[in-house]
Amino acid sequence: MAAAAAGPTVFLLMVNGQIESAQFPEYDELYCKYCFVYGHDWAPTAGLEEGISQITSKNRDAQQTLVWNFPIDITFKSTNPYGWPQIVLSVYGPDIFGNDVVRGYGAVHVPFTPGSHRRTIPMFVPESTSKLQKLTSWLMGRRPEFTDPKVVAQGEGREVTTVRSQGFVTISFNVVTKDMKKLGYDVSSTDMQNPSIVSLTDGIQKY
Amino acid sequence: MAEVHIIGQIVGASGFPRNSLFCKWGIHTGGAWKLLSGLREGQTQVDHPQLDDVAYWSHPIDVHFATKGLQGWPKLHVQVWHQDSFGRSELYGYGFCHLPSSPGWHMLTCTTWQPLGSWQERLSQLFVGGGPQLLQSDLIYTGADRYRLQTIAAGTVHLELAVLLRHFARYGVEC
Repeated sequence: MAAAAAGPTVFLLMVNGQIESAQFPEYDELYCKYCFVYGHDWAPTAGLEEGISQITSKNRDAQQTLVWNFPIDITFKSTNPYGWPQIVLSVYGPDIFGNDVVRGYGAVHVPFTPGSHRRTIPMFVPESTSKLQKLTSWLMGRRPEFTDPKVVAQGEGREVTTVRSQGFVTISFNVVTKDMKKLGYDVSSTDMQNPSIVSLTDGIQKY
Repeated sequence: MAEVHIIGQIVGASGFPRNSLFCKWGIHTGGAWKLLSGLREGQTQVDHPQLDDVAYWSHPIDVHFATKGLQGWPKLHVQVWHQDSFGRSELYGYGFCHLPSSPGWHMLTCTTWQPLGSWQERLSQLFVGGGPQLLQSDLIYTGADRYRLQTIAAGTVHLELAVLLRHFARYGVEC
């Protein structure tokens, strides 16, 4: 009871949803890995932080969509929105020799406001920077990859990379937050339209 | 002090004459604002798009400011550059936009412009490329010395940003 009287110090972010589908006009038989990247103040409290989907093929109709329907379900806690979680995706598929090679990396922030959201994420692969590397990677049948896919969620050191964007992945999210308003955060403008409600809850919190 | 979080992505750019674009960006604030964590400036990757005419950068932005006043609300300024097959860079556009002041998720477009040279410079630009650039990059986000400049429209930069405010209601500020 004492902790409740002092007010909360952490807020919770519950995310569920699915990696719905992808558009990769040039490729087929793809699978998808996901992981979350978040700041120091963040910690997952429940659910899976990473996952790997089945291998899916295109529908034979004109749509050419790859469907994964792969579930995501995770809850985070934090004291500070800085370092808000990002989901990092990497898509792999076989090349003509049957080796798994990367077909795209992408990242997006988990939505900020409670409710359901859909995001379409551009997917890109790194390219060799020199003509010689391009030739050797073509001869060896190996294409450049990131050693750690989590670099696509970072803002530093991007200026040295050249990429080629070649597809999209669609994710749907359902987001629930807890205690963000009690910690003084305004996440959507509707909170501000009625400031009396905010001050009323502030009052309840004090007593 | 009131706090502002700006979290999101510089998604990409469209409407430029060629692709293979990258972007240098920065956030400019007034004196009352203090950066608590995050990167204030950066540079994106170079993208060669295969599907459409949009260069995708997916460049993450996550900054945390504390402020004592509303003057000098953060502005994001961008410079779009084109990289040719020899690795040479040429300026394609300057632009800025104010970060939204209302909390929530925003899809923003930032229009850009390019300085226009004299007709001799334009003629040489047609053959050898390049073009005039600003000496002082603060002209991108200030209005004071713009009147001496002649410019031409360039493409658009697309942003998706969420704004989270803290303790603004405590000071009676309505955003």
